[in-house]
Amino acid sequence: MINLNDALLALTVLSVLFGLGSNRLMSLVKIMACQGVVVSLIPFFRDYHHEINVGALIFLLVMLLIKGVLIPGFMYIAVKKVKIQREIEPIIGYHASLFMGLIFILVSVFIAEKLHLSLPRDKVLLMITATTTLAAGLFLIMSRRKAITQVIGYLMMENGIYLVGTALAHGAHTQFVVEFGVLLDLLVGVMIMGIILHNINSSYDDVDTALLGQLKD
Amino acid sequence: METLFVALALILAGGIAGLCLARQFTFMKLVTIATTSVGCGIGLVFTLPRLLSGVAVPAVSYRWLHIFTLSFRVDSISLFFLLPIFLISPLALLYSFHYLGNREKKIRAGANYFFFAVLVAAMALVVMAADMITFLLAWEIMSLSSFFLVIYDYQKKATRQAGYLYFIFAQGGALFLFAACALIYSYSASFTFTGFVAIPDLVKLSAFLLVLCGCGSKAGVLPLHIWLPYAHPAAPSHVSAVMSGVMIKMGIYGIVRFYLALAPTSAVFGQITIVLGALSGILGVVYALGQHDIKRLLAYHSVENIGIILLGLGVGMLGVATGNKTMAAFGFAGGLLHVFNHSLFKSLLFMGAGALIQQTGTAMIDRLGGLLKKMPLTGSCFLVGSISISGMPPFNGFISEFLIYYGAFYGLSLPGISFIFSALVIISLAIIGGLAAACFSKVMGIVFLGEPRDASLSAASEAGGSMILTQFVLAGACLIIGVWPDYLVRAAFQASRAIPLIAEFEVAQFMPLMVNISRTAALFLFLLIMVTGFRKLLYAGKDCPQTGTWGCGFTQPTVRMQYTGTSYADSILDFFQPFVWIRKKYAGIGKIFPGSISYDTHAEDVFANGLSLIACSITSLLGRLHWIQHGNIQLYIAYIVMTIIVLLAFF
Repeated sequence: MINLNDALLALTVLSVLFGLGSNRLMSLVKIMACQGVVVSLIPFFRDYHHEINVGALIFLLVMLLIKGVLIPGFMYIAVKKVKIQREIEPIIGYHASLFMGLIFILVSVFIAEKLHLSLPRDKVLLMITATTTLAAGLFLIMSRRKAITQVIGYLMMENGIYLVGTALAHGAHTQFVVEFGVLLDLLVGVMIMGIILHNINSSYDDVDTALLGQLKD
Repeated sequence: METLFVALALILAGGIAGLCLARQFTFMKLVTIATTSVGCGIGLVFTLPRLLSGVAVPAVSYRWLHIFTLSFRVDSISLFFLLPIFLISPLALLYSFHYLGNREKKIRAGANYFFFAVLVAAMALVVMAADMITFLLAWEIMSLSSFFLVIYDYQKKATRQAGYLYFIFAQGGALFLFAACALIYSYSASFTFTGFVAIPDLVKLSAFLLVLCGCGSKAGVLPLHIWLPYAHPAAPSHVSAVMSGVMIKMGIYGIVRFYLALAPTSAVFGQITIVLGALSGILGVVYALGQHDIKRLLAYHSVENIGIILLGLGVGMLGVATGNKTMAAFGFAGGLLHVFNHSLFKSLLFMGAGALIQQTGTAMIDRLGGLLKKMPLTGSCFLVGSISISGMPPFNGFISEFLIYYGAFYGLSLPGISFIFSALVIISLAIIGGLAAACFSKVMGIVFLGEPRDASLSAASEAGGSMILTQFVLAGACLIIGVWPDYLVRAAFQASRAIPLIAEFEVAQFMPLMVNISRTAALFLFLLIMVTGFRKLLYAGKDCPQTGTWGCGFTQPTVRMQYTGTSYADSILDFFQPFVWIRKKYAGIGKIFPGSISYDTHAEDVFANGLSLIACSITSLLGRLHWIQHGNIQLYIAYIVMTIIVLLAFF
């Protein structure tokens, strides 16, 4: 079991690095779908391996549905419909991004040590993964030019926050209720993003956020 | 107390009805005005008997958000301030029935009614608040709802700017109030308005100064009055009637309430108030004289009247500090009565101005003229308001100013330097009265008398029925209070009994004074009616030829020969030169047969100029940082992340 846990965490970190290094929009969406599935599986294998009740199961399924299917699905449709150019157009290059990802992991290890959260040994790894994902999400928002990549960055950040919550919650799933609310917000956000992207596309012929700079006063 | 909450609920229900029914324009107006008026009526029925009899109302408190306690209490001062709120608001709403006549703006009118109702309820809650949290909460609601009322014509740039200016002053003032409350709380550890007595004197003084800044920016005390001459012309007239007539008095209420709670013993409080009052009073009316826009002029008169009220309160505070009961009672009662009187005649004048603007399409005094013939009813109501605001008998302005004079004359026998301040009150009241009379003779003379200065004025006619009706009610109230002041004077004395020293004061011995005033006023009125009737009788059946005004025997008089408001006020403004900057654009006459010549003057507010100088230097300083704002979303997010990291690292 512990091995499976660690394998999931490793998958998450890998997906983060993959996301930072990918240069195609569609592959980034697919990576996010995978990451969503993996992230929503983590608490299940961690906390509920001794007692699996109906509530937890439903929770897991809904999480999987939203994180793994709905949100990536919407983004997939957005990418297809809006005819966004498939190139990601980074501000900071892919190799530099990958390098930043490695630095994030290092810093996360440092932070996880520094925080003295008195976590059990296996949760420290989870904490490290969570912080890495969070930071990488923020970095993705800052370093990519397209509006849709910012949403993806935000999604990655949300996954990180979710993992932090998992690390701090000691088996109680009341905390997931809040998390769930955040997720619903995110879902709505992604849907609105789709609509706005559509409108931006029709008025600017492009969804480059650099064009939004014209809106400043 | 529950009755009051029912009244407020009805008022709010009226506002919400206005918002919901906005599609049926006339029906919406009827429902809103009726519901809100019933609410205000209930409020009045609750307020008036308790004010006259002095019955205490039990306090209530509620929990809010599990942390705060909202507590309400109605003492005699609150009751007195509730009076204008419940009286003027329904009249202003009734006025708006014909004033907001444009069907195309019906959604906006609905929103206007909604915010109006919120404003009325919030003002009532400000007055009813028994602790600082409730007070500040209601204060903020009041400021915000009135902001939305000001920007009714939001398409106009000037309106948006005025709204912005008002917003800055309202919120800046609120910040001062927050600071005052925090200061008081840090010493008294209690939010209620009762437990401040144990605070050291210096803290009391600084808290009072903060309150003066905070409430003064709402009331329009002189250095902080700058929003008034912008916001009032921008707002619709029924809104400016309520804002100028009632809402700015909430600033006065705040000052009185905090003064009561602080219960200071030093004379400095009264002296500061008197100096501020004299400054606002005199300069307010001087600036009013220089205005060309009738609503700006009225706005500056609000500053002046706030000055008079502050003079009264200052006399009262000085009386309390020196233990002179008569002076204290007359000062406070005069100030409070002037609050009520000003709410009557100022809303009357704003309504008159609104009718003028609606009918003629311009607010510029020098472009109007001869309107008394076109709008006799509005004109005569405006005349009543003008006489009242100038403080002349037999109208209500005289009564309150008389009380303040009376208190101030008692103060002349005070020892030390206090008598200088009493003298200052008397002198400034006299100057204010004279200048106000000059200013309103200018308005009446230029706007209503003479010949129309513009061809477009011939289309003007009497305004709609509800507008006339409300003006008549208010004008009647001004006259009735002027001739039979007993009840209101008694109510004002009753209200000021909340101050411990005045509670021992025996009003009854001074009531014959009121009877004398009443008799004289009635006699004057009787003589006036008799003389007018006699003149009518003598001239009946005789044929009186009528020629144009300012004809002066010329065969071809033109309307441009008439006196203008600018020239009328010029000599007075010259006298107050350092405080009023007059910008003239005039090239002079050079040739023997001069061509076209223009003459243009602007009387500028020194304080507004000073403020804009400060504001401009700050903006140009901050403009250097403009490179930070480059419109790049990614970098903005980077700023946020950086800030969070720095905050996490340091705290």
